[in-house]
Amino acid sequence: MKTTAAARAPGTDLSSAGTDGRALARRRLVLWLAPPMLWFTAFMLVPYAIMFFYSLGSMDYVDFVPGFSPANYVKALTAEPYPDVLLKSTVNGLLTALLSSVVAFPLAMWMAFGLASPRRRALVSILVVLPWWASYLVKVYAWKTILGAEGVLNTALMAIGLVDEPLSVLLYNRFAVVLTLTYIFTPFAVLSIYAQLERIPRSLVEAARNLGATDGEIFRRIILPISVPGVLAGAVITFSLGFGDFVTPSLVGGPDDLMITNLVVNLLGVSMDRPLGSAIGVVVIAFSVLLLMAANAAERRTQVRF
Amino acid sequence: MALELVDLVKAFPGADAAHPAVDRVSLTIERGSFVSLIGSSGCGKTTTLRMIAGLEFPDRGRILHEGRDVTLVPTSERGMRMMFQDYALFPHMTVGENVAFGLRLRRQRGRHTAGEIDRLVDEQLERVHLPGLRGRKPAELSGGQRQRVALARALITDPEVLLFDEPLGALDAGLRRAMQFELKRLHAELGKTFVYVTHDQHEALAMSDRIAVMHAGRVLQYATPEDIYFTPRTRYVARFVGSANLLDGVLVDADRRVGRVRLPNGSVIEGSAPEDAPAGTRVAAVIRADRIEIRPAGSTDAVRGTVQERLFLGTHDEFLVRLDGLDADVSVHRPTGTGGAISVGDPVGLAWQPENVRVLSE
Repeated sequence: MKTTAAARAPGTDLSSAGTDGRALARRRLVLWLAPPMLWFTAFMLVPYAIMFFYSLGSMDYVDFVPGFSPANYVKALTAEPYPDVLLKSTVNGLLTALLSSVVAFPLAMWMAFGLASPRRRALVSILVVLPWWASYLVKVYAWKTILGAEGVLNTALMAIGLVDEPLSVLLYNRFAVVLTLTYIFTPFAVLSIYAQLERIPRSLVEAARNLGATDGEIFRRIILPISVPGVLAGAVITFSLGFGDFVTPSLVGGPDDLMITNLVVNLLGVSMDRPLGSAIGVVVIAFSVLLLMAANAAERRTQVRF
Repeated sequence: MALELVDLVKAFPGADAAHPAVDRVSLTIERGSFVSLIGSSGCGKTTTLRMIAGLEFPDRGRILHEGRDVTLVPTSERGMRMMFQDYALFPHMTVGENVAFGLRLRRQRGRHTAGEIDRLVDEQLERVHLPGLRGRKPAELSGGQRQRVALARALITDPEVLLFDEPLGALDAGLRRAMQFELKRLHAELGKTFVYVTHDQHEALAMSDRIAVMHAGRVLQYATPEDIYFTPRTRYVARFVGSANLLDGVLVDADRRVGRVRLPNGSVIEGSAPEDAPAGTRVAAVIRADRIEIRPAGSTDAVRGTVQERLFLGTHDEFLVRLDGLDADVSVHRPTGTGGAISVGDPVGLAWQPENVRVLSE
C-alpha cells in the first residue's frame, strides 16, 4: 500500500510514463491537425498578411514604399469608379446566384424525386458536371458564338424572319455576362440543391399527400422550406464565383461591364498600383467573410434534422 | 363492411411476373374492427396496405370502401390516414404545425377558424398524452413521442380508417408494449377501422380482432387470433404464429378429421386434421411448444429424446430436445418452477394430448 501511495504522490508526472490517456489523445490530435494548420498558414494567412502589408503602403513611381496609411482603403471605398464597380459586381453575383438557383431547382427536384434508381441519379449527376470537363474559356467563347451578330441565335432568328437585322442587345452587355456566368456555374447550384432534396424521405411526401395535400401544397409547404439550406449553399458558391469572375466580363461584357476583379487585375498588372489593388483585395475578402458568416448562420438556422 | 379487397394483384416492374408482390388477395374488413396483416418481410403485407391507402395502385382487382369503388382514387381523397414506419413527421414544422397540417390545407379552407384549429390540436395532443409539446420540433422528441405526434396528426381530420405500417418497429421493447396498450385503448375509444401491418406475431395476436397471415403475396389464413394460434391451416401459419414444432412424416390414415402420422423413426403421432387427405400424403404433425409435457425419461414414454439446450426465459424454460432416431429438434416450454430438475444431456420423455396436435398437409 505504501509504495502505491508514493507512486501517486502529487507532482508525479504520469503522462511522461505514458499512462495518461488524455495526453495521448492530445498528442494524436496535434499530429492530425498539424498538416492542415501548416497548409492554412503557408497558403492563406501568410499571403493575406503580405497583401495587408502592401495595402497600407504607397507607390513612389515604380517603387513600393512601406507605410501605415489608410489612404488606399479610403480610395477603394470612396473614389470613382471603385465603389460603383464593387456594387455592380455584387449585383452580378446576386443575379448569377438567383438565376442559377431558379434554373437548378427543377433539375435537382427531378433528380431527387423523378429518378428512382441510384444508378440513374449518379449518371445524371455526372451529366450535370460534364460541362466542367471542358475548359472554362471554351465555354465563354461558345456563348460569344451563340450571341454574336453572326452568331447562332441571330442567324436562326433572321432565318425564321423574326428579325430583319442581327440583334446587338445579345452580346457585350450585362445580360450576356450574367447569362454566361449562370450557364457556367449552375452545376454547383444543382448539386447542392440536389444534395439537400435527396435527404427528404419519400414518406414525407406520401404522408402529406395522404393527409390531403395537393402537389402544389406539397411543394410549397414541405419541399421548398426543407430545400432552403441547399439553395443557400448553392447561392453562396455561385455568388462567390460570379462576383469574383474576370474572364467572362472581359470577353462577353461591354466596356461598362468590367467587374471589381478586372480593376484589380489592371491595378496590379497595368498601372502597377499594388497598394490600391491590395486594399481592394482586402475589402473584397472582408466582404466575402461577412457574407459567408451570414450565409452559414442562415443555413444553420434553416437546416432540419430528420 | 368498411373495406373490401377483391382479388388484388400487384407486380412491381422488373420483378418476376409469375410471382407478383401481391397475388390475388381478397379480404373483408368489418367497420370498426382491428385487422392485422402479418408475415415475414417481402410477403406483400405492406404493398397491400399501401394499395388500401392509395399510395400504390393494383394491377388487377378492386378495393371497395363502404361499397364505393376506390381502387383508383388518389390517397388524398380516400379519408384514410396512414401511419408510417418512420413516422414521416415534417422536420421543419413544430409538433403543433405537424398536427394541424391536415386542417390547414386548401381542401379544409373555411371549415375551421384559427382558434378552432388551435383547440383541436390541443385536444388531439391530449388524447395521445402529449400536452405541452406543441412548440417542439420532431428532432427534439423521443421515438415514442414522435409516434404519438404522428397519431395525433392522423386523427385530427377524423378519418374513418387508420392504416399502420409497422408503426412500433423502431421502438424498444418496453415502449412497444406501452404503445400496444395505447393503440388498443384508442381503437376501443374511437371505434374506427384499424388495419395494421407487422411482422411481430405477438403484437398481432395481442391487438387484433382478425389476422391475415401472408406469405409470398397470398393470404394463407384470415381468422381470429385464437383460430390462427390454435388451429393453423398451413404449416407456414403454424410456424410463423405459434412457436410450433413441425415434425415431417407420412399420413398413415385419416378419418373424420383425425389423422395419424408416421415419423421417419417409426413412431406414430395422432392429431386433428383440417381435411382428410389420402394415406401416404406427406404431412407434418404440428405441436406447439407450450403444449408438450417434458419429464425425466421413464420406461412408459412413447416419445423420447435428449436435452440439447436449456434457455431460461423468465416466465418459462425452453428446452431443445433432440428426438431419438430423428434428425429434428423439438422446442418445449415449461413454466418456471414446475416439474423436476432437467439439465442439458438428460434423457427425457415427451408427452402431449392428441387434441393439441394438428396434422397439416399444405
